[in-house]
Amino acid sequence: MTFKYNNVYINDTATVTGPYEANGPLSKYFDKSYHNLYFGEKTWELAESKMISESVDLLLDKVGKTRFDVDVHISGDLLNQLVASNYAATNLGMPYIGVYAACATSVLGLIVGSNMIEAKQAKSIIASTSSHNSAAEKQFRYPVEYGGPKPKTTTFTSTGAASAFVTSNKRGIRIESSTLGTVVDMGVKDVYHMGAVMAPAAAKTIYDHLRDTKREIGYYDLILTGDLGVYGKNILKEYLLTEYNMVLDNYEDAGSILFDVEKQPVYAGASGPACAPLVTYGYIFSRMYKKELKRVLLVATGALMSPTMVNEKQTIPAVAHAISLEVVEWYI
Amino acid sequence: MIYLNAFIFTGIICVIGQLILDNTKLTPGHITTIFVVVGSFLDIFNIYDKFILWAGGGAMVPITSFGHLLIHGAIDTANDMGIMGLMTGMFNLTASGITSAIVFSFILSLIFSPKD
Repeated sequence: MTFKYNNVYINDTATVTGPYEANGPLSKYFDKSYHNLYFGEKTWELAESKMISESVDLLLDKVGKTRFDVDVHISGDLLNQLVASNYAATNLGMPYIGVYAACATSVLGLIVGSNMIEAKQAKSIIASTSSHNSAAEKQFRYPVEYGGPKPKTTTFTSTGAASAFVTSNKRGIRIESSTLGTVVDMGVKDVYHMGAVMAPAAAKTIYDHLRDTKREIGYYDLILTGDLGVYGKNILKEYLLTEYNMVLDNYEDAGSILFDVEKQPVYAGASGPACAPLVTYGYIFSRMYKKELKRVLLVATGALMSPTMVNEKQTIPAVAHAISLEVVEWYI
Repeated sequence: MIYLNAFIFTGIICVIGQLILDNTKLTPGHITTIFVVVGSFLDIFNIYDKFILWAGGGAMVPITSFGHLLIHGAIDTANDMGIMGLMTGMFNLTASGITSAIVFSFILSLIFSPKD
């Protein structure tokens, strides 16, 4: 299912991160960074919620608006029942939709918002996402203090919140089209190898998008996946070649570049819903504004399991949502 | 010489643990449990006692010795009391370790709260 848009733009974005991202290679592209994981709150969950509130507040400052100017706030995160977003929405006080697609949440939120803007049902939308390393470890795996060693294919949940201001004002980055992913389950049960879980979903969505838009893979200057990690990247390239007969050239994975995989203790790269937007809104957008990239396909990937299902020995299904971003000369 | 044996013995146990971690989907929790069970099993035919003579502290420190102590206590009491001794004696030798863990963590949790 692919949507095309005539009048949808991301006017501006705001990103808030934790310490690992601040010490990573993209640190100068974030609006605000914290140097511990609590941000002055008592629990990880409240800290994650605070990040969302802050990123939305920063964003409203940047675009010179107040919360009364925003029609809908769409947000999602990894916590059970989306509580980081829910509690932030309490503070922010805008009409609110919670969305969940695990690490593909950012793009799902943008798609839902873009559809409303295109249909003229709403005039301005804020789409936000967050993840927090310690909160995610506590919920999905073990508390970090347990100290259990992890295999090298594991990905490291990023700590950050990212918000985007979406309207039909011709300013910023244009959202040109989007494709909703179909859920793919290849029978992988290993929660420590998310790259293998999600790569087939990314491949399917990339294929569906190109088929629906009747484009060749070379149409895009960059295809950016959300968080496949250094192993998932290679799996995707191989899978696209063998299953769909497509050669993936202009390709990067946000999870592989958010951190310095050699120097930081992050195993195979970054993951979490915040990973894709943290990389895209700061680093990728700045490259687009500098005309280094004109057309980018962001394919955020998410693993749709819960700890209960994993403990019950179920397989892990995955989904990937894609959004096509472009910079047009006179819109900057 | 016993120092060297102790070093080698614990080293081998750790290497086995790392091999299991690298090559199977077993978690650290699985490995601890497997080691305890292996330690118990090796004591049934008094094999673990021979390791203790050879490696000294090197065989008493790892978690395998916990399994050994469980079975050792059980069999000792069974020799005195008969078959019920298996049940009543199993925690005799490990009681001090378990009790310390419970009592001290309780006391410390009253004074401190966990924080990263």
